[in-house]
Amino acid sequence: MEAAVFQPFLDSIQKELQAQDPAVLAVLVALVVVIISIIFMKIVWGRKTTRSAVLLVGLCDSGKTLIFSRLLSGKFKKTQTSITDSSAIYNVKSEKVTSQTKGRGFTLIDLPGHESLRPQFVERFKSAARAVVFVVDSAVFQKELRDVAEFLYSLLTDAEIVKNAPALVVTCNKQDITMAKSAKVIQQQLEKELNTLRVTRSAALSTQDGSTAGGTVYLGKKGKDFEFSQLPMKVEFVECSAKGYKAEDGEADIEQLEKCLARIS
Amino acid sequence: MLDFFTIFSKGGLVLWCFQGVNGSFTGPVNALIRSVILQERSGSNLFIHDALSMKYKLDNEFELVFVVGFQKILTLTYVDKFLDDVQLRFRDRYKNQLEQKGAMKLLNGSFQFQDDFQQLLREAEESTKACAPAPMKTFMQSQKSQKTVKSMIETRGGEKGKEKESNKKSKNAKKEASAAEGDGDSTRGGTQSGLPKKSSPKPQENGNEGLTPEEIKRNQQEFFRRMGGGAKKPSSSSSSKSPKPEKLQRVKGNREWVMGGTNTKELDYSNKDMNGSQDTLPATKDNAEDLKQLGQMKGDLRSVDYESSEEEEEDEEVVVSAAAAANPSKSSSKSFRGVFGMLKGLVGSKSLSQEDMEPVLDKLRDHLIAKNVAADIASKLCESVAKKLEGKVMGTFTTVTSTVKQALQDSLVQILQPKRRVDILRDVMEARAQRRPFVVTFCGVNGVGKSTNLAKISFWLIENGFSVLIAACDTFRAGAVEQLRTHQRRLNSMHPPEENGGRPRVQLYEKGYGKDAAGIAMEAIAYARSHSFDVVLVDTAGRMQDNAPLMVALAKLIAVNMPDLVLFVGEALVGNEAVDQLVKFNQALADHSMSDKPRIIDGIVLTKFDTIDDKVGAAISMTYITGQPIVFVGTGQTYSDLRSLNARAVVSALMKA
Repeated sequence: MEAAVFQPFLDSIQKELQAQDPAVLAVLVALVVVIISIIFMKIVWGRKTTRSAVLLVGLCDSGKTLIFSRLLSGKFKKTQTSITDSSAIYNVKSEKVTSQTKGRGFTLIDLPGHESLRPQFVERFKSAARAVVFVVDSAVFQKELRDVAEFLYSLLTDAEIVKNAPALVVTCNKQDITMAKSAKVIQQQLEKELNTLRVTRSAALSTQDGSTAGGTVYLGKKGKDFEFSQLPMKVEFVECSAKGYKAEDGEADIEQLEKCLARIS
Repeated sequence: MLDFFTIFSKGGLVLWCFQGVNGSFTGPVNALIRSVILQERSGSNLFIHDALSMKYKLDNEFELVFVVGFQKILTLTYVDKFLDDVQLRFRDRYKNQLEQKGAMKLLNGSFQFQDDFQQLLREAEESTKACAPAPMKTFMQSQKSQKTVKSMIETRGGEKGKEKESNKKSKNAKKEASAAEGDGDSTRGGTQSGLPKKSSPKPQENGNEGLTPEEIKRNQQEFFRRMGGGAKKPSSSSSSKSPKPEKLQRVKGNREWVMGGTNTKELDYSNKDMNGSQDTLPATKDNAEDLKQLGQMKGDLRSVDYESSEEEEEDEEVVVSAAAAANPSKSSSKSFRGVFGMLKGLVGSKSLSQEDMEPVLDKLRDHLIAKNVAADIASKLCESVAKKLEGKVMGTFTTVTSTVKQALQDSLVQILQPKRRVDILRDVMEARAQRRPFVVTFCGVNGVGKSTNLAKISFWLIENGFSVLIAACDTFRAGAVEQLRTHQRRLNSMHPPEENGGRPRVQLYEKGYGKDAAGIAMEAIAYARSHSFDVVLVDTAGRMQDNAPLMVALAKLIAVNMPDLVLFVGEALVGNEAVDQLVKFNQALADHSMSDKPRIIDGIVLTKFDTIDDKVGAAISMTYITGQPIVFVGTGQTYSDLRSLNARAVVSALMKA
């Protein structure tokens, strides 16, 4: 029956096309051009917003900017507290240089860690994140445990990050200091702390419009103690020392991190 | 002379540094960044940290920061100009490298700025030496030697006469001056006694405003009669003294109140069993509305919600075509050139200058003040935003208004974000694990809602399973203890002690009226520790910030008891007064504590939030002054009217037209 409805419509169009009426032809051509360009734009812009960034996040003074500098240029640079983000293209170093791995790179973005700037910058860049490198200062970790856990909790319960599930690399930096904790210890302590946090943060949060007192996501599985393996995203713990074991001119010990990044991309 | 000079990018990479003395300067510069730039206090560019004073300059076009540090005791006059010179030289030299978007060039580039720096420094130091201090003038050169001796005799009219001789030639003035000279000697003797009739006239600089000398003399006689009447005052007051002793003869009888009893025993509403009593209210119909709120406060606090209308904000972003007459910087009279200028302003890169931002910032400042932000905070904020945007290159299709508004919005959100973790429940659990009570002290001026919000917070805590001890350290205000007892009864009736294994959730520790508050607090904390309470909420009396003895008493209470959290309770209705209150409270707490690490205000409770619709400026004023987060927001008088702050919602309400 619909065919019958459309039939006269199609007939009229055919007739007009055959009549070679310039006005109608012009209109049709214009429409086609517009549709094609819209599709083209969508593809181009869509490609831009594919997640191709790796974010360097962490508390203040954890060493993100130095890791950033070491990864990109291998040099040691003095750093101060960052006020804005820095970004650059990072080309993955890998042992096997095949035609596939060469030229594969992503944008490395270093976000400021200061508490008052953190939320804004994470908000801005979280949708573009393919992986998140969470830098932890291993030397003062014990004192800062609750702050680290809270930041990690807010990252893990953010709705968009849960949806995209970027790979999480928890980098335990400053291993050159003797008092630094190892990655295993840090993992255990974080799991315990996050276990407590999800009780205090997410117990019966009522749905309030416009509020984000914490995500509405419940970390891990109910009833069981929290473990990083319960998360939807891949989580890895690596150790590194951006400063290097020798003096400032020495090499930084970031091989594990580089290998991790190579695996992600 | 200079201790150090650094140039670093806003992303944190140090591009070049000069160190005059040994020792790392990373700490002081980080302190500078955190306290000034991140807290939007960049209005003045001087920052003092320990023994070091630092001056800085922001380059917003290339996102650089220039910092120079020198000893606090030195006063170097060339530093400002030197900073500007260095900035210009650095920019010119490394423009290519700095213009790149992306940090690669910054990382790879080596900035050999040493020679230029030394040269500029030498020039700056020489320029100060060049202008030597001016030699003192000899006496002959001064103006004083030109005057006559007589003119310098100081009398009441004589002073004016001296001035008259130098300049004015008005006829009246000359006449008055000569009259004054004559009277001058007599008035000196006659000031003390009653009526100096022939007083010196008071000639104005520009004549006598049309009054004739007789009128002047008449006015002055009136004046001096009144003044002379002052001389008579002792006599009149002595006459008034006589009726007073008569009054004192009458014995003052006690005033009879109509509704009151004559027996003080009738006024004693306290129960026989005081502390640790099982005071619960039976569940009557009065508790019905309380019971409705049962269970609503579990978990973390909900944040304040706002219906933010997003439509107005979008208008700023979309730039209409040449008809955008709202563009203030391009409103020129010549219409054709004006249109062209507007187009040029919309497209292409244009760097912001102070004059461009001036009108926009003025309007924004007035808007903030209309929204109840304290006046000097609003102006400091606007200055800081101006500093942050100066020299910045705007992208295409952005107006000055939108850029400035966006920057102001970002800085407001930045101010409202807490600088430290705010999670009371977690800290209470930590204290419970350490087997000590978590002590919270509430302080503030009179009538802001300390006791009400204390009750709300204890409701929230017991909903989350903690036991609370309320310490009634308000020993001054009548009914304060009874008020807290009533709250305690109601709270306990909602969570009956049977749930808690026979022990009531909330208990009140009080010692009546008139006692020392600090002592009561200390005893309450000891009681809580021995009876393993989780939280102690200490309620103090309201006091004005100017009342020195009360502020000392508060400082003593806090210094002696070392609470875990000192909360300042402020109402959202307060305007410019908030600045004064917070500054003086912090000052008092810092001054009167004996230790070198004084406890100052750790957090703010913003009360009566439901009484303001969108004039939420008090939140900004309070967080700006103290740098401490707003921990709770009170939005009403029932137990569930407690929220946490949502920075974005508050800022959008603030920026809403």
